[in-house]
Amino acid sequence: MTADPIIVARGVTRRFGGLVALDGIDLDVTQGIVQAIIGPNGSGKTTLLNALSGASHADTGSIRLDGHEIFRLKPHRIARLGLARTFQNIRIFDNLSVIENVKVASACNSPTSFFDILTANARHRRSEANVDRSAREALDIVGLSRRADDRASQLPYALQRLLEIARALASKPTVLLLDEPAAGMNMTESMMLLDTIARLKSSGITILLVEHNVRLVMGISDRVTVLDFGKKIAEGTPSEIQRNPRVIEAYLGRRHRHA
Amino acid sequence: MKIGPIAAACGAAALVVPVITHDGYIIQLLNIAILNAIVVIGLNFVTGWAGQINFGQAAFYGLGAYTTAIATKAGLPWITTPFLSVIVVMAASLMLGLPTMRLRTYYLAMTTIGFGEIVRLIIVHWEPVTGGTSGLRAIPAIDIFGFGPQGQVQHYYLLIAALALAILIAARIRHSVLGRAMIATKDSEIAAEQSGVDTVRTKLLAFMIGAIYAGLAGCLYASSIRFISPDSFSGTQAILLMTMLIVGGMGSIVGCVIGAVALTILPEALRFLGQWYLVLYGLGVIAVIVLAPGGLASLASLSQLRRASVR
Repeated sequence: MTADPIIVARGVTRRFGGLVALDGIDLDVTQGIVQAIIGPNGSGKTTLLNALSGASHADTGSIRLDGHEIFRLKPHRIARLGLARTFQNIRIFDNLSVIENVKVASACNSPTSFFDILTANARHRRSEANVDRSAREALDIVGLSRRADDRASQLPYALQRLLEIARALASKPTVLLLDEPAAGMNMTESMMLLDTIARLKSSGITILLVEHNVRLVMGISDRVTVLDFGKKIAEGTPSEIQRNPRVIEAYLGRRHRHA
Repeated sequence: MKIGPIAAACGAAALVVPVITHDGYIIQLLNIAILNAIVVIGLNFVTGWAGQINFGQAAFYGLGAYTTAIATKAGLPWITTPFLSVIVVMAASLMLGLPTMRLRTYYLAMTTIGFGEIVRLIIVHWEPVTGGTSGLRAIPAIDIFGFGPQGQVQHYYLLIAALALAILIAARIRHSVLGRAMIATKDSEIAAEQSGVDTVRTKLLAFMIGAIYAGLAGCLYASSIRFISPDSFSGTQAILLMTMLIVGGMGSIVGCVIGAVALTILPEALRFLGQWYLVLYGLGVIAVIVLAPGGLASLASLSQLRRASVR
């Protein structure tokens, strides 16, 4: 590994009552790679993503993004520092058009004042033009340009997932967290998604991927982290992980080992 | 945009109304309807777009009206009153909004109900200044360095101009960073935050802009109707404003105007029904909510929607 890690998390712990959802997780993510986080149901994958993105803060620990301490920062501050995400349960803005959904995020790089908005002056028009251009670029990347003016709620499920990715890209992130992006997609749609992820990686974005579909993960990831009961039980390249007995045990359970 | 010609037609229709009717009572009623429309457009920022329930809009309306009445009766020039009204409602909305916007929707609803009641009690009991339940009469008229509208018809045109400005500003905000952020906040607060939107600030701004709309409408109310009493700004009025927003169409600027005009004029038009009016009113509101959940404004766009779904 040559580059410095873009995410450095240390001792991230999250308790829900008596349940320890994350138990002192350490995580280093190298810049520019696709890193997957896998694990059985309830292993703490989404909790970890929520802690990283600020959606639901961890109790203790430290998280650094590109050198900035982001632990317990508000989510919009973390987003503006270059971390974007999608959601396991789709959360698009139903009452906005497709392009407007994306513009919400692309606007975070184009400041405009209330006075500019009221007078619709040149600065405001320039800023709106910028917002519009980067929103269209993001729609282009996921192939949704033709649906730009549709109402977001009218898109089919798989396209809503792509819209979430476009929205996340529009803020020009350095790190993109994808929470089960292939959930509910059929085979063709999943293949298209993999293609999109590969293109994003080649454009230099670091991708942290939580996924249930282990086969999908193995093909695309440079590194895989395995969680079980809130602890990190393994980390390595996909082929290392596939051979790791602790991982097999976590997924299949002890009793099945000789079956 | 396709609504351009329709808006122009509505604007033209509004301009010829005083030519058709010379009935002072009707013009006065329309003046109040226009003022209500401005207040409802204000309510739409925070409730229709940002999704926060605000029952304090009538109180902000009242604060603007009483600030203007008290200031002009004390001898201050009229031109200061819009500024004074804005300062008062901004301070009040900031005080209410700062602590509650961090919490969930229901807290703002509770807080603003309490606020409305506090404002009403102050107005009713601070008699030497506010005139108590009998209100304030003979409020000085609009006077901009010696110029001002004379008679109801000129007031009507002034208020139409104010409404046009209110609509223009609301439309600009809707199609700006701020308007999109408001609607995003309503649709999914967490997704908005993760897209870089400061949702607390967005909700607070929506609330304050709405309060400023109400405060300025109150200022115009006091100095164009020239009589105010606590009844016009009570909790009942707050609920009526919310009903105008829902019946007209949450989130739609045109809907706000339709709802405000319809629910200001209908009670007067149906006065001959006596107490039965309330029954009809209740049934009417239920009918709109059931048959057109998007409000009256959604009926106009329904035909477009059908066409879109066929394609």
